[in-house]
Amino acid sequence: MLKLTNVSKNFGKIKALENISFEVADGEFVFLTGPSGAGKTSILRLILREFLPSNGTIEFDGQDITKLPRKKIPELRQKIGVIFQDFKVLPERTVRENIEVALALKNIPDREWSETIKELLSLVGLDLRANLFPSQLSGGELQRLALARALSVSPKLILADEPTGNLDWKTADTIMDLLLKINKEGKTIIMATHHKLIVDKMKKRTIKLKEGRMIIKDD
Amino acid sequence: MIKIHLKQAASYIRRSPFQALASISVLGLTFFVATIISILVFSSNRVLNYFETRPQIIAFIKNDADDGKINTLREKLNNDTRVKNIRIVTKAEALEIYKKATADNPLLGELVSPSIFPASIEFSVINLSLAKEVIEETKKEDIVESVGFTASLEGGSTLGDVVERLKTITFYIRAAGIGFVIFLGATSFFVLLVVISMRITTRREEVEILELMGASPGFIRTPIILEAIYYAMVGVVMGWSMAVVLILYTVPTIISYFKTIPILPTNALNFMEILMIILATELAAGILIALGGSLLALGRTAKKK
Repeated sequence: MLKLTNVSKNFGKIKALENISFEVADGEFVFLTGPSGAGKTSILRLILREFLPSNGTIEFDGQDITKLPRKKIPELRQKIGVIFQDFKVLPERTVRENIEVALALKNIPDREWSETIKELLSLVGLDLRANLFPSQLSGGELQRLALARALSVSPKLILADEPTGNLDWKTADTIMDLLLKINKEGKTIIMATHHKLIVDKMKKRTIKLKEGRMIIKDD
Repeated sequence: MIKIHLKQAASYIRRSPFQALASISVLGLTFFVATIISILVFSSNRVLNYFETRPQIIAFIKNDADDGKINTLREKLNNDTRVKNIRIVTKAEALEIYKKATADNPLLGELVSPSIFPASIEFSVINLSLAKEVIEETKKEDIVESVGFTASLEGGSTLGDVVERLKTITFYIRAAGIGFVIFLGATSFFVLLVVISMRITTRREEVEILELMGASPGFIRTPIILEAIYYAMVGVVMGWSMAVVLILYTVPTIISYFKTIPILPTNALNFMEILMIILATELAAGILIALGGSLLALGRTAKKK
Protein backbone atom coordinates (compact mmCIF):
# COMPACT_ATOMS: atom_id res chain seq x y z
CA MET A 1 0.00 0.00 0.00
CA LEU A 2 2.72 2.48 1.03
CA LYS A 3 6.48 2.26 0.57
CA LEU A 4 9.04 4.90 1.49
CA THR A 5 12.54 4.27 0.12
CA ASN A 6 15.54 6.28 1.36
CA VAL A 7 13.44 9.37 1.88
CA SER A 8 15.25 12.50 3.04
CA LYS A 9 13.94 16.00 3.45
CA ASN A 10 16.00 19.10 4.03
CA PHE A 11 14.62 22.52 4.89
CA GLY A 12 17.60 24.66 3.95
CA LYS A 13 20.46 23.40 6.10
CA ILE A 14 18.13 21.58 8.49
CA LYS A 15 17.83 17.86 7.89
CA ALA A 16 14.23 17.07 8.82
CA LEU A 17 14.37 13.46 7.59
CA GLU A 18 17.29 11.24 6.69
CA ASN A 19 17.12 7.94 4.80
CA ILE A 20 13.72 6.86 5.94
CA SER A 21 12.59 3.54 4.52
CA PHE A 22 9.57 1.50 5.54
CA GLU A 23 6.55 -0.21 4.12
CA VAL A 24 2.96 -0.32 5.27
CA ALA A 25 0.73 -3.16 4.12
CA ASP A 26 -3.00 -3.03 3.43
CA GLY A 27 -5.07 -3.01 6.64
CA GLU A 28 -2.10 -2.30 8.93
CA PHE A 29 -2.09 0.05 11.93
CA VAL A 30 1.32 1.71 12.29
CA PHE A 31 2.49 4.19 14.90
CA LEU A 32 5.11 6.84 14.11
CA THR A 33 6.53 7.86 17.46
CA GLY A 34 9.26 10.12 18.71
CA PRO A 35 9.73 13.46 20.42
CA SER A 36 8.71 16.79 18.89
CA GLY A 37 10.85 17.60 15.85
CA ALA A 38 11.61 13.92 15.19
CA GLY A 39 10.01 14.14 11.74
CA LYS A 40 6.68 12.37 12.30
CA THR A 41 4.54 15.14 10.81
CA SER A 42 7.02 15.65 7.94
CA ILE A 43 6.51 12.03 6.88
CA LEU A 44 2.72 12.48 6.89
CA ARG A 45 3.02 15.72 4.93
CA LEU A 46 5.24 14.00 2.37
CA ILE A 47 2.64 11.27 1.94
CA LEU A 48 0.02 13.99 1.40
CA ARG A 49 2.33 15.62 -1.17
CA GLU A 50 2.30 18.91 0.73
CA PHE A 51 5.96 19.04 -0.34
CA LEU A 52 8.45 16.85 -2.15
CA PRO A 53 11.29 14.86 -0.55
CA SER A 54 14.85 16.03 -1.21
CA ASN A 55 15.75 12.41 -1.97
CA GLY A 56 14.05 9.05 -2.23
CA THR A 57 10.73 7.76 -3.46
CA ILE A 58 7.30 7.33 -1.93
CA GLU A 59 5.02 4.76 -3.49
CA PHE A 60 1.34 4.79 -2.69
CA ASP A 61 -0.93 2.22 -4.28
CA GLY A 62 1.86 1.26 -6.69
CA GLN A 63 2.44 4.83 -7.87
CA ASP A 64 5.47 6.99 -7.11
CA ILE A 65 3.75 10.07 -5.72
CA THR A 66 6.92 12.17 -5.87
CA LYS A 67 6.47 12.16 -9.66
CA LEU A 68 2.79 12.99 -9.50
CA PRO A 69 1.89 16.11 -11.54
CA ARG A 70 0.50 19.01 -9.47
CA LYS A 71 -3.00 18.73 -10.93
CA LYS A 72 -3.21 15.09 -9.79
CA ILE A 73 -2.55 15.96 -6.12
CA PRO A 74 -6.26 16.51 -5.26
CA GLU A 75 -6.96 13.02 -6.62
CA LEU A 76 -4.25 11.53 -4.35
CA ARG A 77 -5.56 13.37 -1.30
CA GLN A 78 -9.08 12.15 -1.94
CA LYS A 79 -7.78 8.60 -1.38
CA ILE A 80 -6.36 9.56 2.01
CA GLY A 81 -8.32 10.50 5.11
CA VAL A 82 -6.50 12.91 7.42
CA ILE A 83 -6.99 13.71 11.10
CA PHE A 84 -5.00 16.50 12.74
CA GLN A 85 -4.15 17.44 16.30
CA ASP A 86 -5.86 20.82 15.75
CA PHE A 87 -8.86 19.08 14.10
CA LYS A 88 -8.88 21.28 10.96
CA VAL A 89 -12.63 21.18 10.60
CA LEU A 90 -14.30 23.88 8.50
CA PRO A 91 -15.23 26.41 11.19
CA GLU A 92 -18.13 28.06 9.44
CA ARG A 93 -19.93 24.92 8.40
CA THR A 94 -22.07 22.66 10.54
CA VAL A 95 -21.11 19.07 11.41
CA ARG A 96 -23.30 17.84 8.55
CA GLU A 97 -21.89 20.39 6.08
CA ASN A 98 -18.31 19.44 6.96
CA ILE A 99 -19.05 15.90 5.84
CA GLU A 100 -21.08 17.09 2.85
CA VAL A 101 -18.03 18.96 1.56
CA ALA A 102 -15.93 15.79 1.72
CA LEU A 103 -18.64 13.84 -0.10
CA ALA A 104 -18.96 16.57 -2.76
CA LEU A 105 -15.19 16.47 -3.28
CA LYS A 106 -15.39 12.79 -4.01
CA ASN A 107 -18.27 13.42 -6.46
CA ILE A 108 -20.65 11.24 -4.47
CA PRO A 109 -24.22 11.96 -5.70
CA ASP A 110 -26.32 14.24 -3.42
CA ARG A 111 -29.02 11.59 -2.98
CA GLU A 112 -26.56 9.32 -1.15
CA TRP A 113 -25.34 12.02 1.24
CA SER A 114 -28.08 11.81 3.83
CA GLU A 115 -27.72 8.05 4.42
CA THR A 116 -23.89 8.18 4.49
CA ILE A 117 -23.85 11.12 6.92
CA LYS A 118 -26.35 9.39 9.21
CA GLU A 119 -24.21 6.22 9.32
CA LEU A 120 -20.95 8.11 9.93
CA LEU A 121 -22.35 10.35 12.65
CA SER A 122 -23.85 7.34 14.35
CA LEU A 123 -20.46 5.55 14.15
CA VAL A 124 -18.63 8.43 15.84
CA GLY A 125 -21.51 9.22 18.20
CA LEU A 126 -22.35 12.66 16.83
CA ASP A 127 -25.82 11.90 15.49
CA LEU A 128 -27.41 14.46 17.80
CA ARG A 129 -24.86 17.14 16.88
CA ALA A 130 -25.43 17.18 13.09
CA ASN A 131 -26.64 20.76 12.93
CA LEU A 132 -24.18 22.29 15.36
CA PHE A 133 -21.21 24.43 14.34
CA PRO A 134 -17.64 23.42 15.36
CA SER A 135 -17.56 26.26 17.90
CA GLN A 136 -20.40 24.49 19.73
CA LEU A 137 -18.50 21.18 20.05
CA SER A 138 -15.99 19.91 22.64
CA GLY A 139 -12.43 18.85 21.69
CA GLY A 140 -13.37 15.18 21.62
CA GLU A 141 -16.41 15.88 19.48
CA LEU A 142 -14.31 17.92 17.05
CA GLN A 143 -11.87 15.05 16.68
CA ARG A 144 -14.75 12.63 16.14
CA LEU A 145 -16.10 14.99 13.47
CA ALA A 146 -12.66 15.04 11.82
CA LEU A 147 -12.64 11.25 11.89
CA ALA A 148 -16.16 11.02 10.43
CA ARG A 149 -15.13 13.41 7.67
CA ALA A 150 -11.98 11.43 6.95
CA LEU A 151 -14.00 8.22 6.72
CA SER A 152 -16.73 9.73 4.54
CA VAL A 153 -14.72 9.34 1.36
CA SER A 154 -13.91 5.65 2.05
CA PRO A 155 -10.16 6.32 2.08
CA LYS A 156 -7.61 3.60 1.48
CA LEU A 157 -5.35 5.12 4.06
CA ILE A 158 -5.96 7.24 7.16
CA LEU A 159 -3.20 9.54 8.39
CA ALA A 160 -3.65 10.69 11.97
CA ASP A 161 -1.30 13.41 13.16
CA GLU A 162 -1.37 13.49 16.99
CA PRO A 163 -5.16 12.99 17.01
CA THR A 164 -5.18 12.71 20.79
CA GLY A 165 -2.74 15.56 21.40
CA ASN A 166 -5.38 18.06 22.49
CA LEU A 167 -7.62 15.63 24.33
CA ASP A 168 -7.89 14.34 27.88
CA TRP A 169 -7.07 10.68 28.52
CA LYS A 170 -10.69 9.47 28.57
CA THR A 171 -11.59 11.25 25.31
CA ALA A 172 -8.33 10.11 23.72
CA ASP A 173 -9.26 6.57 24.64
CA THR A 174 -12.61 6.93 22.86
CA ILE A 175 -10.87 8.19 19.73
CA MET A 176 -8.38 5.30 19.85
CA ASP A 177 -11.26 2.83 20.20
CA LEU A 178 -12.83 4.33 17.13
CA LEU A 179 -9.58 4.14 15.15
CA LEU A 180 -9.15 0.52 16.22
CA LYS A 181 -12.70 -0.27 15.11
CA ILE A 182 -12.08 1.36 11.74
CA ASN A 183 -8.78 -0.54 11.39
CA LYS A 184 -10.55 -3.82 12.12
CA GLU A 185 -12.93 -3.00 9.27
CA GLY A 186 -9.92 -3.04 6.96
CA LYS A 187 -8.66 0.54 6.81
CA THR A 188 -4.92 1.19 6.87
CA ILE A 189 -3.93 3.70 9.55
CA ILE A 190 -0.67 5.55 10.13
CA MET A 191 -0.75 7.50 13.35
CA ALA A 192 1.89 9.94 14.54
CA THR A 193 1.96 10.31 18.31
CA HIS A 194 4.29 10.86 21.22
CA HIS A 195 1.70 9.47 23.63
CA LYS A 196 3.62 6.48 25.04
CA LEU A 197 0.66 5.14 27.00
CA ILE A 198 -1.44 4.87 23.86
CA VAL A 199 1.30 3.15 21.91
CA ASP A 200 1.90 0.66 24.73
CA LYS A 201 -1.82 -0.03 25.15
CA MET A 202 -2.52 -0.60 21.46
CA LYS A 203 0.39 -3.00 20.85
CA LYS A 204 0.70 -2.18 17.16
CA ARG A 205 3.72 -1.92 14.89
CA THR A 206 5.77 1.14 15.82
CA ILE A 207 8.34 3.14 13.86
CA LYS A 208 10.43 5.23 16.22
CA LEU A 209 12.06 8.42 14.99
CA LYS A 210 14.67 10.70 16.49
CA GLU A 211 16.08 13.83 14.88
CA GLY A 212 14.83 12.78 11.46
CA ARG A 213 16.27 9.26 11.59
CA MET A 214 14.55 5.95 12.13
CA ILE A 215 15.85 4.37 15.29
CA ILE A 216 13.50 1.41 15.66
CA LYS A 217 11.44 -0.25 12.96
CA ASP A 218 9.30 -2.70 14.93
CA ASP A 219 8.18 -5.30 12.38
CA MET B 1 -22.91 19.43 -6.52
CA ILE B 2 -23.67 23.05 -7.47
CA LYS B 3 -26.07 23.17 -4.50
CA ILE B 4 -23.20 23.05 -2.01
CA HIS B 5 -21.40 25.88 -3.85
CA LEU B 6 -24.54 28.03 -4.02
CA LYS B 7 -25.16 27.42 -0.32
CA GLN B 8 -21.59 28.43 0.46
CA ALA B 9 -21.77 31.56 -1.74
CA ALA B 10 -25.01 32.59 0.00
CA SER B 11 -23.36 32.08 3.36
CA TYR B 12 -20.40 34.32 2.37
CA ILE B 13 -22.85 37.06 1.34
CA ARG B 14 -24.85 36.73 4.56
CA ARG B 15 -21.71 36.91 6.66
CA SER B 16 -20.47 40.21 5.20
CA PRO B 17 -23.53 42.24 4.24
CA PHE B 18 -21.66 45.55 3.92
CA GLN B 19 -19.21 44.16 1.36
CA ALA B 20 -22.20 42.83 -0.55
CA LEU B 21 -23.97 46.18 -0.30
CA ALA B 22 -20.89 48.08 -1.53
CA SER B 23 -20.42 45.77 -4.52
CA ILE B 24 -24.10 45.79 -5.48
CA SER B 25 -24.34 49.59 -5.13
CA VAL B 26 -21.36 50.26 -7.40
CA LEU B 27 -22.53 47.74 -9.98
CA GLY B 28 -26.08 49.12 -9.71
CA LEU B 29 -24.85 52.67 -10.37
CA THR B 30 -22.76 51.49 -13.34
CA PHE B 31 -25.65 49.73 -14.98
CA PHE B 32 -28.12 52.52 -14.14
CA VAL B 33 -25.91 54.95 -16.07
CA ALA B 34 -25.31 52.37 -18.80
CA THR B 35 -29.06 51.92 -19.33
CA ILE B 36 -29.70 55.68 -19.47
CA ILE B 37 -26.81 56.18 -21.90
CA SER B 38 -27.98 53.28 -24.08
CA ILE B 39 -31.42 54.89 -24.37
CA LEU B 40 -29.82 58.28 -25.03
CA VAL B 41 -27.66 56.85 -27.83
CA PHE B 42 -30.67 55.01 -29.24
CA SER B 43 -32.82 58.18 -29.17
CA SER B 44 -30.15 60.39 -30.70
CA ASN B 45 -29.76 57.86 -33.51
CA ARG B 46 -33.48 57.97 -34.11
CA VAL B 47 -33.50 61.77 -34.21
CA LEU B 48 -30.58 61.73 -36.61
CA ASN B 49 -32.26 59.12 -38.74
CA TYR B 50 -35.48 61.19 -38.73
CA PHE B 51 -33.75 64.26 -40.08
CA GLU B 52 -31.58 62.31 -42.49
CA THR B 53 -34.58 60.61 -44.04
CA ARG B 54 -36.71 63.72 -44.37
CA PRO B 55 -37.29 64.65 -48.02
CA GLN B 56 -34.41 66.80 -49.09
CA ILE B 57 -35.11 67.15 -52.80
CA ILE B 58 -38.43 68.13 -54.39
CA ALA B 59 -38.84 67.72 -58.13
CA PHE B 60 -41.78 69.92 -59.27
CA ILE B 61 -43.61 68.28 -62.16
CA LYS B 62 -44.74 70.18 -65.25
CA ASN B 63 -48.49 70.76 -65.49
CA ASP B 64 -48.88 68.72 -68.69
CA ALA B 65 -47.15 65.60 -67.34
CA ASP B 66 -49.50 62.62 -67.12
CA ASP B 67 -49.60 59.96 -64.41
CA GLY B 68 -47.79 57.42 -66.60
CA LYS B 69 -44.75 59.68 -67.00
CA ILE B 70 -44.75 60.58 -63.31
CA ASN B 71 -44.79 56.87 -62.43
CA THR B 72 -41.96 56.20 -64.88
CA LEU B 73 -39.86 58.88 -63.16
CA ARG B 74 -40.73 57.42 -59.77
CA GLU B 75 -39.66 53.95 -60.97
CA LYS B 76 -36.40 55.40 -62.24
CA LEU B 77 -35.72 57.03 -58.89
CA ASN B 78 -36.71 53.84 -57.12
CA ASN B 79 -34.01 51.97 -58.98
CA ASP B 80 -31.40 54.61 -58.14
CA THR B 81 -29.33 53.35 -55.18
CA ARG B 82 -28.42 56.91 -54.17
CA VAL B 83 -32.08 57.79 -53.57
CA LYS B 84 -34.46 56.78 -50.79
CA ASN B 85 -37.85 57.68 -49.25
CA ILE B 86 -39.57 58.58 -52.54
CA ARG B 87 -43.04 60.08 -52.27
CA ILE B 88 -45.38 61.54 -54.88
CA VAL B 89 -47.36 64.64 -53.81
CA THR B 90 -50.40 65.25 -56.03
CA LYS B 91 -51.82 68.69 -56.77
CA ALA B 92 -54.66 68.06 -54.26
CA GLU B 93 -52.19 66.99 -51.59
CA ALA B 94 -50.11 70.07 -52.31
CA LEU B 95 -53.19 72.23 -51.76
CA GLU B 96 -53.86 70.45 -48.44
CA ILE B 97 -50.32 71.12 -47.34
CA TYR B 98 -50.75 74.78 -48.32
CA LYS B 99 -54.04 75.00 -46.41
CA LYS B 100 -52.44 73.53 -43.33
CA ALA B 101 -49.55 75.93 -43.58
CA THR B 102 -51.95 78.90 -43.87
CA ALA B 103 -54.44 77.65 -41.33
CA ASP B 104 -54.07 80.92 -39.42
CA ASN B 105 -55.48 82.79 -42.41
CA PRO B 106 -58.19 80.60 -44.04
CA LEU B 107 -58.88 83.23 -46.68
CA LEU B 108 -55.53 82.48 -48.35
CA GLY B 109 -56.49 78.81 -48.67
CA GLU B 110 -59.89 79.58 -50.17
CA LEU B 111 -58.47 81.86 -52.85
CA VAL B 112 -56.50 79.10 -54.54
CA SER B 113 -57.45 75.96 -56.48
CA PRO B 114 -55.44 72.70 -56.78
CA SER B 115 -54.54 73.50 -60.38
CA ILE B 116 -52.11 76.24 -59.42
CA PHE B 117 -50.05 73.86 -57.29
CA PRO B 118 -47.67 71.60 -59.17
CA ALA B 119 -47.49 67.94 -58.36
CA SER B 120 -44.08 66.92 -57.09
CA ILE B 121 -41.86 63.97 -56.25
CA GLU B 122 -40.09 64.28 -52.91
CA PHE B 123 -37.11 62.17 -52.05
CA SER B 124 -33.92 62.16 -50.08
CA VAL B 125 -30.42 61.01 -50.88
CA ILE B 126 -28.53 58.45 -48.82
CA ASN B 127 -25.66 60.91 -48.43
CA LEU B 128 -25.89 64.68 -48.70
CA SER B 129 -22.73 64.79 -50.82
CA LEU B 130 -24.65 63.05 -53.59
CA ALA B 131 -27.36 65.71 -53.67
CA LYS B 132 -25.74 67.96 -56.29
CA GLU B 133 -25.34 65.28 -58.95
CA VAL B 134 -28.82 63.82 -58.28
CA ILE B 135 -30.39 67.29 -58.59
CA GLU B 136 -28.58 67.94 -61.87
CA GLU B 137 -29.73 64.61 -63.29
CA THR B 138 -33.34 65.17 -62.11
CA LYS B 139 -33.42 68.63 -63.69
CA LYS B 140 -32.74 67.03 -67.08
CA GLU B 141 -35.93 64.95 -66.90
CA ASP B 142 -38.57 66.08 -69.46
CA ILE B 143 -41.43 66.27 -67.02
CA VAL B 144 -39.52 68.16 -64.34
CA GLU B 145 -40.19 71.89 -64.18
CA SER B 146 -37.70 72.70 -61.48
CA VAL B 147 -35.91 71.08 -58.55
CA GLY B 148 -35.88 72.39 -55.02
CA PHE B 149 -33.43 71.44 -52.31
CA THR B 150 -34.04 71.92 -48.59
CA ALA B 151 -30.38 72.61 -47.89
CA SER B 152 -28.09 74.74 -49.98
CA LEU B 153 -25.20 72.75 -51.31
CA GLU B 154 -22.30 75.01 -50.41
CA GLY B 155 -22.15 76.39 -46.89
CA GLY B 156 -25.83 75.64 -46.45
CA SER B 157 -27.60 76.50 -43.26
CA THR B 158 -30.79 74.46 -43.28
CA LEU B 159 -31.43 70.71 -43.13
CA GLY B 160 -27.87 69.76 -44.09
CA ASP B 161 -26.55 71.81 -41.21
CA VAL B 162 -29.07 70.34 -38.80
CA VAL B 163 -28.05 66.82 -39.81
CA GLU B 164 -24.36 67.64 -39.48
CA ARG B 165 -24.90 69.23 -36.08
CA LEU B 166 -26.94 66.22 -34.94
CA LYS B 167 -24.21 63.91 -36.17
CA THR B 168 -21.69 65.82 -34.07
CA ILE B 169 -23.96 65.78 -31.01
CA THR B 170 -24.66 62.05 -31.47
CA PHE B 171 -20.94 61.39 -31.75
CA TYR B 172 -20.24 63.28 -28.52
CA ILE B 173 -23.12 61.57 -26.66
CA ARG B 174 -21.81 58.21 -27.82
CA ALA B 175 -18.15 58.92 -27.04
CA ALA B 176 -18.80 60.56 -23.66
CA GLY B 177 -21.37 57.92 -22.72
CA ILE B 178 -19.16 55.00 -23.65
CA GLY B 179 -16.20 56.64 -21.89
CA PHE B 180 -18.22 57.18 -18.72
CA VAL B 181 -19.63 53.65 -18.76
CA ILE B 182 -16.12 52.21 -19.27
CA PHE B 183 -14.90 54.27 -16.31
CA LEU B 184 -17.77 53.05 -14.11
CA GLY B 185 -17.30 49.50 -15.40
CA ALA B 186 -13.64 49.64 -14.42
CA THR B 187 -14.61 50.98 -10.97
CA SER B 188 -17.03 48.07 -10.53
CA PHE B 189 -14.32 45.67 -11.65
CA PHE B 190 -11.86 46.99 -9.06
CA VAL B 191 -14.47 47.02 -6.27
CA LEU B 192 -15.24 43.37 -7.03
CA LEU B 193 -11.53 42.60 -7.17
CA VAL B 194 -11.01 44.12 -3.71
CA VAL B 195 -14.09 42.45 -2.19
CA ILE B 196 -13.16 39.04 -3.58
CA SER B 197 -9.51 39.44 -2.52
CA MET B 198 -10.74 40.22 1.01
CA ARG B 199 -12.97 37.16 0.89
CA ILE B 200 -10.05 34.93 -0.12
CA THR B 201 -7.87 36.38 2.65
CA THR B 202 -10.51 35.72 5.29
CA ARG B 203 -10.99 32.20 3.90
CA ARG B 204 -7.31 31.29 3.87
CA GLU B 205 -7.67 28.72 6.67
CA GLU B 206 -10.68 27.14 5.00
CA VAL B 207 -8.85 26.99 1.66
CA GLU B 208 -5.89 25.23 3.30
CA ILE B 209 -8.19 22.65 4.91
CA LEU B 210 -10.02 22.08 1.63
CA GLU B 211 -6.71 21.59 -0.18
CA LEU B 212 -5.67 18.97 2.40
CA MET B 213 -9.00 17.24 1.89
CA GLY B 214 -8.23 17.00 -1.83
CA ALA B 215 -10.30 19.87 -3.18
CA SER B 216 -9.41 20.84 -6.72
CA PRO B 217 -8.75 24.55 -7.46
CA GLY B 218 -12.09 24.59 -9.30
CA PHE B 219 -13.94 23.36 -6.21
CA ILE B 220 -12.35 26.07 -4.07
CA ARG B 221 -12.96 28.82 -6.62
CA THR B 222 -16.56 28.04 -7.56
CA PRO B 223 -18.35 29.61 -4.52
CA ILE B 224 -16.13 32.70 -4.78
CA ILE B 225 -16.94 33.14 -8.48
CA LEU B 226 -20.65 32.49 -7.80
CA GLU B 227 -20.59 35.21 -5.15
CA ALA B 228 -19.15 37.71 -7.66
CA ILE B 229 -21.72 36.68 -10.29
CA TYR B 230 -24.50 37.15 -7.73
CA TYR B 231 -23.31 40.71 -7.00
CA ALA B 232 -23.16 41.45 -10.72
CA MET B 233 -26.64 40.06 -11.46
CA VAL B 234 -28.28 41.90 -8.57
CA GLY B 235 -26.38 45.08 -9.52
CA VAL B 236 -27.48 44.85 -13.16
CA VAL B 237 -31.13 44.16 -12.34
CA MET B 238 -31.16 46.96 -9.74
CA GLY B 239 -29.49 49.55 -12.02
CA TRP B 240 -31.61 48.59 -15.02
CA SER B 241 -34.87 48.64 -13.03
CA MET B 242 -34.12 52.08 -11.57
CA ALA B 243 -33.30 53.43 -15.03
CA VAL B 244 -36.44 51.87 -16.56
CA VAL B 245 -38.66 53.40 -13.87
CA LEU B 246 -37.06 56.80 -14.51
CA ILE B 247 -37.37 56.45 -18.30
CA LEU B 248 -41.00 55.28 -18.15
CA TYR B 249 -41.79 58.15 -15.82
CA THR B 250 -40.35 60.73 -18.23
CA VAL B 251 -41.47 59.14 -21.54
CA PRO B 252 -44.80 61.07 -21.86
CA THR B 253 -43.02 64.38 -21.29
CA ILE B 254 -40.22 63.52 -23.75
CA ILE B 255 -42.62 62.36 -26.46
CA SER B 256 -44.85 65.43 -26.12
CA TYR B 257 -41.79 67.73 -26.14
CA PHE B 258 -40.37 66.28 -29.35
CA LYS B 259 -43.86 65.99 -30.91
CA THR B 260 -43.49 64.50 -34.42
CA ILE B 261 -39.84 63.51 -33.96
CA PRO B 262 -40.00 59.82 -33.00
CA ILE B 263 -37.31 60.00 -30.31
CA LEU B 264 -38.66 56.86 -28.58
CA PRO B 265 -40.83 54.07 -29.96
CA THR B 266 -44.47 54.83 -29.22
CA ASN B 267 -45.33 51.13 -29.37
CA ALA B 268 -44.95 49.73 -25.84
CA LEU B 269 -43.91 46.28 -27.11
CA ASN B 270 -41.12 47.70 -29.29
CA PHE B 271 -39.92 49.80 -26.40
CA MET B 272 -39.92 46.81 -24.03
CA GLU B 273 -38.04 44.80 -26.63
CA ILE B 274 -35.29 47.45 -26.67
CA LEU B 275 -35.17 47.54 -22.87
CA MET B 276 -34.92 43.73 -22.75
CA ILE B 277 -32.04 43.76 -25.26
CA ILE B 278 -30.29 46.31 -23.03
CA LEU B 279 -30.92 44.11 -19.95
CA ALA B 280 -29.57 40.99 -21.68
CA THR B 281 -26.46 42.88 -22.84
CA GLU B 282 -25.91 44.29 -19.36
CA LEU B 283 -26.30 40.87 -17.74
CA ALA B 284 -23.65 39.50 -20.11
CA ALA B 285 -21.37 42.47 -19.33
CA GLY B 286 -22.02 42.05 -15.58
CA ILE B 287 -21.09 38.37 -15.70
CA LEU B 288 -17.93 39.25 -17.64
CA ILE B 289 -16.95 41.86 -15.01
CA ALA B 290 -17.67 39.34 -12.20
CA LEU B 291 -15.69 36.57 -13.87
CA GLY B 292 -12.80 38.91 -14.68
CA GLY B 293 -12.67 40.42 -11.18
CA SER B 294 -12.95 37.14 -9.29
CA LEU B 295 -10.54 35.21 -11.53
CA LEU B 296 -7.96 38.00 -11.30
CA ALA B 297 -8.31 38.07 -7.49
CA LEU B 298 -7.94 34.28 -7.33
CA GLY B 299 -4.97 34.37 -9.69
CA ARG B 300 -3.21 37.04 -7.62
CA THR B 301 -3.77 35.08 -4.41
CA ALA B 302 -2.47 31.88 -6.00
CA LYS B 303 0.70 33.75 -7.09
CA LYS B 304 1.28 35.13 -3.57
CA LYS B 305 1.18 31.57 -2.20
